[in-house]
Amino acid sequence: MTDNVIETQDLTVYYGKHRGIVDVNLTVEKGKVFGFLGPNGAGKTTTQRVLVDVLPPSWGKASVFGLDCQTQGVELRKRIGYLPGELALYPNMKASDFFKMYEYLRGSNGAPGYWRELAKRLDLDTSRKIRQFSRGNKQKVGVVAAFMSRAELLILDEPTGGLDPLVQRTVLDMVREAKADGRTVFFSSHILSEVQAVCDRVGIIREGRLVATQRVEELFAQRMNRMTLIFDAPPPPDSFALPGVTELGRGRQSVELEVRDNLPRVLAAAAEHNVMDIETHNVGLEEIFLAYYSVENGGDDA
Amino acid sequence: MLRLLIQELRFRRNAIIGWGLGLCFFPIVYLGIYPQVAEEMAGLADLEIYQAMGVSLGTLEDWIGSILLLFVPLLIGVYAIINGTGTLAGEEEDGRLEMVVTLPLPRWKIVAAKALALSASIFMILLIVSLMSAAVFVAIEDQLETGLKAMQLTSALLGTWPLPFAVGMISLFLAAFCSRRRIASLVAAVLVVISYFGSNLAGTTTALEPLEPTFLFTYVDYTASGVSQGQQGGDVLVLLVVGLVAFVLALIFFQRRKLTVGAWPWQRAKMGAGSIQ
Repeated sequence: MTDNVIETQDLTVYYGKHRGIVDVNLTVEKGKVFGFLGPNGAGKTTTQRVLVDVLPPSWGKASVFGLDCQTQGVELRKRIGYLPGELALYPNMKASDFFKMYEYLRGSNGAPGYWRELAKRLDLDTSRKIRQFSRGNKQKVGVVAAFMSRAELLILDEPTGGLDPLVQRTVLDMVREAKADGRTVFFSSHILSEVQAVCDRVGIIREGRLVATQRVEELFAQRMNRMTLIFDAPPPPDSFALPGVTELGRGRQSVELEVRDNLPRVLAAAAEHNVMDIETHNVGLEEIFLAYYSVENGGDDA
Repeated sequence: MLRLLIQELRFRRNAIIGWGLGLCFFPIVYLGIYPQVAEEMAGLADLEIYQAMGVSLGTLEDWIGSILLLFVPLLIGVYAIINGTGTLAGEEEDGRLEMVVTLPLPRWKIVAAKALALSASIFMILLIVSLMSAAVFVAIEDQLETGLKAMQLTSALLGTWPLPFAVGMISLFLAAFCSRRRIASLVAAVLVVISYFGSNLAGTTTALEPLEPTFLFTYVDYTASGVSQGQQGGDVLVLLVVGLVAFVLALIFFQRRKLTVGAWPWQRAKMGAGSIQ
């Protein structure tokens, strides 16, 4: 018996000739927060729309709770709280009426009126019409709608978009609490710090392809060093052509390197060329992801 | 589905009231002035231009048929186009449909609830106009020489419901079929205009006679007989069948629709399995 809530196999969506996602294979375990990272247009929203059966795959399969997303969409949507990335609401409704309607249509899942508690927590005035709301307040409406049924799986497409930092923190707390309740969260974002803050595992999607899936701590373990070596004379061009080492630039007497692996061999190679000084600094998570996103360097060598 | 239907009717509440009251203009003005213009209208009974437009104004029943039975369902047809295309294609374009289709409801129920709400709203608008017509009729009845009863007038107007119903369902189908709302609206509007003029001209031009059965307005009797005896059962049946067929097509095409993408059906098919090179 699998403990995976989400499973996709070679999931592919094309929009005519345009690429949506290609051969996405991912699993999300029960009770975990899965961060789905990628730049705009990478395929995050497309993947999520397949999971909630808004879009069918061109080929491949997707299942949630072991239910096929295309043939058992109704059953699985009962168990999903969904926040779309492009949130559109009924502008002439009061937020409170919207929540009542939403609860009325999808059921309260044993938590009637829970939206009131959530709205209060997010400091959302539900007596106002949605068209009077700022973008941030509209996003709060979407967040409350996703959480209000206490669904077993939350699929959140950039949930903190448009929110101020204080509310962002509250939303991340809500995600942590959902996890503590044993619920599963599929959390798409392009903000690394929030993924780092709440996620157990991370999938990185680039140009429609899942280029890496890792535990967050493993990702941190990949922290790179950036190093500038200064010599008394320029070293030969291939001195640092080592696996896990990228030469970023070269001055008259200096070489700038990005070192992911083989640090002892880098130091040994440097010692062969009369090194005068070494400057190093750690590369942050941001740059690790940029390495994945980068088209120039292939992106998957990080 | 009942919950969704109730919600859809709530969304249409203002439109029902607005369109209903707005269309009351027709009975209030045109029926209200009839006693003053009755004699003049009798003299215009044989004008060819009116005949070409399918209009006859010689008697009260002719007048009611040509004004109320023709223009009220025609204008409610406009509402049906706006609402029918706005309800799927419009909601998809502005993004609201994504929140609806991710509810735990099968798509056919979503379409069915919207179709029922649209049909019911058309009926309610017609009911408001019919009741107002009856009220105006009662108010002027003593100035008229007619055997017509207020109840006959009300049921004659309500009897035109199948026409805007068919237009609404065709609009719903076009909304599920076309890639954009404005295209669906345009096609529906063109169909109605062609149908209106085609039906009228077919009565005066032999060249158009073979096409007459294809025009929706052929199946609405807006003559004096339509007012006093109501619509023909066969005509009502044809319009109901057209509406139901369009509804079934809307179900089929919406079921297959790739939402949020706005593609044509043949493009949607290309997105399907095995289409990628």
